[in-house]
Amino acid sequence: MSLSLYVRGRTPLHRLPPAVKFGVLFAAGIALFLTDDVAVLGVAAAVAAGLLVSVRPPPAALRRQSTGLLVMLVVIFVAATVFQDLHTALVTLFRLLALLLLALSVTLSTRAADLLEFFERLMAPLARLGLANPARISLGVSLVLRFVPEVQRRYREIREAQAARGLRANPVALVVPLVVRTLKSADDIADAIDARCYPPPRHPDRENT
Amino acid sequence: MTRTSDAPLPTPTTGPVFDLDGVRVAYDGRTVLDGVTVRLAERRIGVIGENGSGKSTFARLLNGLVLPDAGTVRVDGLDTADDVRAVRSRVGFVFQNPDNQIVFPIVAEDLAFGLKNIGLPKGEVPGRVAAALAGFGIAHLAERQSHLLSGGEKQLVALAAVMVMRPGAVVFDEPTTLLDLKNRNVIRAAIADMDPSAVVVTHDLELLGGFDRVLVIHQGRIACDADPATAVSWYRENCS
Repeated sequence: MSLSLYVRGRTPLHRLPPAVKFGVLFAAGIALFLTDDVAVLGVAAAVAAGLLVSVRPPPAALRRQSTGLLVMLVVIFVAATVFQDLHTALVTLFRLLALLLLALSVTLSTRAADLLEFFERLMAPLARLGLANPARISLGVSLVLRFVPEVQRRYREIREAQAARGLRANPVALVVPLVVRTLKSADDIADAIDARCYPPPRHPDRENT
Repeated sequence: MTRTSDAPLPTPTTGPVFDLDGVRVAYDGRTVLDGVTVRLAERRIGVIGENGSGKSTFARLLNGLVLPDAGTVRVDGLDTADDVRAVRSRVGFVFQNPDNQIVFPIVAEDLAFGLKNIGLPKGEVPGRVAAALAGFGIAHLAERQSHLLSGGEKQLVALAAVMVMRPGAVVFDEPTTLLDLKNRNVIRAAIADMDPSAVVVTHDLELLGGFDRVLVIHQGRIACDADPATAVSWYRENCS
């Protein structure tokens, strides 16, 4: 499992700067809520689907990422049809579908590092006001992307070790060693980050290697 | 400390010089290292000893991950307590478990992390990353997800992530412990061939072949400081 959705490629969407992609996504997010026209929203969803296909995601990865979302959309569509009317249900369906497909296209075609760098730049004004530390937030997000699969692997190892000794799945017996191992790793990871000269200088150009 | 060999130690190189003077380190009231005074300037230095003898603490002193409770640790005259950033830019550190050292989800991003920290201009980062990966024969891993690599690949990536910062010395904390024979040989060759000087904490005694100097740490003190054959012999006689 990976939380990073990026799929390698050289498609036009891959080559677009993250700022442009997120700008368009942001604008589309607003525009999609300015109309209730089913035809317009249907076209928007079709365009978004076309963009997603243009990224050329591997079918297995696409299925993995989109199955849950599609199930959720179907539930919302059915609920809206039952409790409201078909027009509202279609508007909701196409609007959310377009938005989700656009967002998926952006995240599939943008490397995590580029994404984080973009957000760091976006948060730079807050940093100047002393309200946020973008580098620290960015590192935190990276660590989540990097280590959630690691924690999941450790969970499987602990479960297998316990199963090998005849223990049935027991939440407490699983969680305690998992938390202990994760905390121990956290110390080592912090050391590894320190050992590589973190944090970066405030004015990179003034520091040479 | 007992010098158990009369043979002169090799001529110092131009890598960083480590000076430890009267170092004592204690965790929770338990003394881990005591009375450690040594000067390290050779290209390849091994550190061996039993589990819990203080080897890893010794390694961590060398780039300021651990600060002494008494005494001083200096790297090229820089005190690790006062100039830790400058020390770490000179001395890289490779951990035993690369899973805890690789902190970015994509390999190339992980190498770029250290370069960003030392303030390398952004335009130079991709070239340096590509060169470092190519240097270890792992250019094909650049865009791979870190958590999907094999153990050997992870350890090479961890080493490349340190080497890309061009340190004068690299400290290794049991770099081959988690590896199979093939990957051990890969890491051994990488350590043997690299330009910076190396201080290697290890249980892998074969790794020490060709080293200039080996320290045996026993019960928190440097008990033997000699050439590899003498030090390993002392270790086998006294610690097995």
